[in-house]
Amino acid sequence: MTRAEAVAMALALLSDNDIVVAADGAIAREAYRARDRARTFYMLGSMGQVASIALGLAMTRMERVVALDGDGNLLMGFGGLALVGGLKPPNLYHLVLDNGCYATTGGQPALSQQVDLAAAAAGSGYPWARRCFAGDHEREAMDAWLAASGPALLDLAVEAADPDPAPRIPMTPVQMADRVRVALARS
Amino acid sequence: MSGSRRLDGLLAAGVDFVAGVPCSYLKRFFAGCRELPVSAFLPAVREDHAVAACVGAWLGGRRSIAAMQNSGLGYCLEVLTSLHLMYGVPLPMLVSDRGDPSDYEEHRILGQRTRQLLDLFEIPWLEARPGMEGDEARWLVDASERERKPAVLLVGREADV
Repeated sequence: MTRAEAVAMALALLSDNDIVVAADGAIAREAYRARDRARTFYMLGSMGQVASIALGLAMTRMERVVALDGDGNLLMGFGGLALVGGLKPPNLYHLVLDNGCYATTGGQPALSQQVDLAAAAAGSGYPWARRCFAGDHEREAMDAWLAASGPALLDLAVEAADPDPAPRIPMTPVQMADRVRVALARS
Repeated sequence: MSGSRRLDGLLAAGVDFVAGVPCSYLKRFFAGCRELPVSAFLPAVREDHAVAACVGAWLGGRRSIAAMQNSGLGYCLEVLTSLHLMYGVPLPMLVSDRGDPSDYEEHRILGQRTRQLLDLFEIPWLEARPGMEGDEARWLVDASERERKPAVLLVGREADV
């Protein structure tokens, strides 16, 4: 399964009410292409902060907050795992699209090939954390992840190859932020 | 009343979410934060996570504030530039003003350049004075929201009230 296919699969399982934080780079662009929604916050930079932004949302909102993270991204902001695991927001669902490398900068290997991210999440206090290897029933793994009590982390293996890169998102950063804030203010 | 006039002033100015990493210059403030509801205080593990979480809280409709030692500004720079300054997210910040010549060595290099660092990124700042907590809280909220960017209140050792 490619990363773009996994992003599309996850977004198809969510309701319009769910709030999404999409990691900077390819994941945000793929999320926009697969299913643009007013309640998705698209990150353009600040690598490493996906879980922290999602935590700020999860602490202040009742809705489910879904963090679409990358393995290199999570490793950069590893303290975010401790924050989520320690504070345990029950409405935070963390998906790591794990291709084992820094795909957008040339495919340099990431330490996620050695570090078990689901075990790290469990050790940090996530009540539910699983790893799903390539080809191992990804859809069932996602269903179990979203049915678990949160915070829940699914470390999902995806292909490193990126056969169909998604284009940049045609919105300014201010438009991206305001759209989410306004959408959330309406409920 | 939280036991911290600084925190009380911020709450009165409408702040309803605090994230931060403690500094000994902000002991009284952080002691007050411990009394806040669990959904209103995020004790962060590093300052960059605190300011990023404030973006989430702001998207969620809160008026958030980040509190930290000035050494934490270094960790925050990437987040402040590629989230707050780029997306136009307001962020009142309480930053301890460490690094004067009588302070310990580990605080001096960044501490003595804190104002230059803020000026370089056009982040407005003000030095806190005891007795001015209410006015300073309103300045912090107004400056950050008017300009949709971070604004900093520098808190010296006498201003943690």
